[in-house]
Amino acid sequence: MHSPASEAIPALQIRNLQKAFSAPAVDNLSLTIRAGEFYALLGPNGAGKTTTLRMVAGLLEADAGGVSICGIDAFKDPIAAKRVLAWVPDEPMIYDKLTPLEYLEFVSGLWSMDAGLAHFKADELLERFGLAQHAGERCQGFSKGMRQKVALAGALIHEPRLIILDEPLTGLDAGSARQVKGVLRGLVAKGVTVIMTTHILEVAERMADRIGIIAKGQLIAEGTLEELRARAGDSGTGLEDIFLDIVNGSAEAVALTDATRRSQGAAA
Amino acid sequence: MSATMARAGFARAGSAQAGTLAWFARHELRLAWRDWVQLMSGGRRLKDHAVLIGMAAFTFGLHWLAYALLSAFFAQGARLEPGTLALITAGVLLTFTMMLSQAMESVTRAFYSRDDLDLILSSPASSRDLFLVRIAMMALTTAMMSGLMVAPFINVAAALGGAQWLGAYLVVLAVSLLATGGAVLIALSLFRTLGAKRTRLVAQIAAAVVGASFLIGLQVVAIISYGSMSRFDVLNSALIADSAPGTASVLWLPAHAVTGNLAALAALLMLSAAFFVFAAHTGAVQFRRIVIAALGVCEVPRRHSEARRGFRAQSTHGALMQKELKLIARDPWLISQTLMQVLYLIPPALMLWVNFGEDAQLPAIIAPVIVMAVGQLAGGLAWLTISGEDAPDLIATAPVSAFARLSAKVKAVLVIIAGIVTPIVLAMALMSVWGAFVTLCGALIAAACAILIQLWFRAQAKRSNFRRRQVASKASTFCEAFASILCAGTTALVAALNPIAILPGVLAIVVMGVAWAISPKRA
Repeated sequence: MHSPASEAIPALQIRNLQKAFSAPAVDNLSLTIRAGEFYALLGPNGAGKTTTLRMVAGLLEADAGGVSICGIDAFKDPIAAKRVLAWVPDEPMIYDKLTPLEYLEFVSGLWSMDAGLAHFKADELLERFGLAQHAGERCQGFSKGMRQKVALAGALIHEPRLIILDEPLTGLDAGSARQVKGVLRGLVAKGVTVIMTTHILEVAERMADRIGIIAKGQLIAEGTLEELRARAGDSGTGLEDIFLDIVNGSAEAVALTDATRRSQGAAA
Repeated sequence: MSATMARAGFARAGSAQAGTLAWFARHELRLAWRDWVQLMSGGRRLKDHAVLIGMAAFTFGLHWLAYALLSAFFAQGARLEPGTLALITAGVLLTFTMMLSQAMESVTRAFYSRDDLDLILSSPASSRDLFLVRIAMMALTTAMMSGLMVAPFINVAAALGGAQWLGAYLVVLAVSLLATGGAVLIALSLFRTLGAKRTRLVAQIAAAVVGASFLIGLQVVAIISYGSMSRFDVLNSALIADSAPGTASVLWLPAHAVTGNLAALAALLMLSAAFFVFAAHTGAVQFRRIVIAALGVCEVPRRHSEARRGFRAQSTHGALMQKELKLIARDPWLISQTLMQVLYLIPPALMLWVNFGEDAQLPAIIAPVIVMAVGQLAGGLAWLTISGEDAPDLIATAPVSAFARLSAKVKAVLVIIAGIVTPIVLAMALMSVWGAFVTLCGALIAAACAILIQLWFRAQAKRSNFRRRQVASKASTFCEAFASILCAGTTALVAALNPIAILPGVLAIVVMGVAWAISPKRA
């Protein structure tokens, strides 16, 4: 699918990314994700996962730092970066008054695809997601699972090299979740890079090549499941235990640092 | 909310037995109050001094306007002649049509919008009681909204003519009861005759038409009978003076009630209350069945006939434009909301038709109406395309520049505006090329002003919030209205070759400058 040279270029490189609202949401975060990798980004609520990924997708402006997508500087040339990127938010945003087929036609138009190829791809995607018989129905009244699958089909129609999914399995039934997981695995097999945030740790454990854990806007741990197990010091534990160990350990460390800073400040 | 406050809230709620009429009323009142505060403050804290000062200045301005209009009438002794009674009756009828439109909209929304209906219908509480309370709240909200609009006139009348004029507030309530009751019965009969699927579309369009019908009706009669665009020509006409019944006629009952006649007031209140109780009870009893049928309609996806056609080859620009036009065309609710502005183009079109080739001054008379309507229509459509984007993430992550994105959306608005204005301007051109040219320029400038204001004040929102777009930014709403009015004034004066045109023209530029200066800073 992609040449070895293109695989040498990271699919995503985040350098010292910063974003603050009332408090820092993303704090000097750096991250490199290789091409063709399935990367799961984990973290407790409010850790900064979505904020980070929204900055990568160009939906939020960073305060500082840089982002390269497949070697393209996303802040300097956002249009070129967007051509190879797809973003699937946690809440599927589609148009109620359009049919899935019309939605895919619209998305293919946005990415300036050839109409014939787009139609072929749309039919294929709708078939793959089990939406073929609903292709001509307006999306109003679709279940969340169906809407999510339409949104996912929209993300895939322009054949992105990097796909970012924010909680893609939330609200899906078992069948739909399996379908989506199968599609994502297929994408990775073809050399597409997939980045996914999820609270379903079992999915990350089973599917991800590497896992990154974010807390308080910082990347506090990263590696394969085995590497994270080794870090937690127990080879038999599951990702849930590892995750809680790392996150709680980090929270305690941060609390300790804050308390030390406060006491030092008071002493001064 | 702190835990202590939350506990206090539970304690208060416990004072009315759960599931009773009083309990539902308390719940609905709380929601209505929060809605009301949001509407009045635009989401800012009511304690905010700027909000309070703004509201006070607006109220003072309305009272000043009411004083300017009413002082002469009271200075002449406030004689209740048939002409005066006709004018007051027309005011009551106008209020009634506006209220009926608003109530029809609310009733339809209550039938079809899901909101909390799943929770209510699946609970063991009596849905009849809740709907009864909900219908009463519709009447109360409608009365309050209209009451606010007419309050300056009532207050000024009471100050100049005596406290008996305060009875007009009760007339507002009575008219609201009649309008809400009427809206419930209309919705029920539509449901019975047309079914759940068609009622929504018909009721929404009917609500838009009803809202504008009285004003437009008066204008149409004035045009056909007197060749005038002024509605007052009908109310002040010899026809009314000659053929109107005597002042004691029952026809003037609402007018007498407005003036504080206690017998008329009591009769009107009793009639309206009885009608409302009948309608609300009938509605509440049938509500559950109707709502379940209506929600069933929402669940059934519509099959599109063109499902199997091929994809059209289109540019990014074309895809965005097509999408905007398709979404507007497929949304009957949005069509009915935007239809209001288009309806006001009927009288000038009729005026053109009636006076075709006879009146050289005609363009100066109808141009401002067209320009004003186009300005308002463009504002609504621009909000829909620019701010009312249901898939903002998709659009923002597409490889399209922000400029290209916005220009495609603006073009979609201009295509619709052009479709509406072109036939009228062409008809005008057959009478006066100059008049048509000026009207076209005025309409385009008004549309451009409205679109620019929407661009400067854009804020992401769901399309379903269209009706509440004014709440989000009162500043943009006022700027849009002032810009439209000033463009209309300038166009009329330019069409009449009056050099004073420069004055409203400059003011329009000032308004746009102010809008730009106060608009939220864009990143």
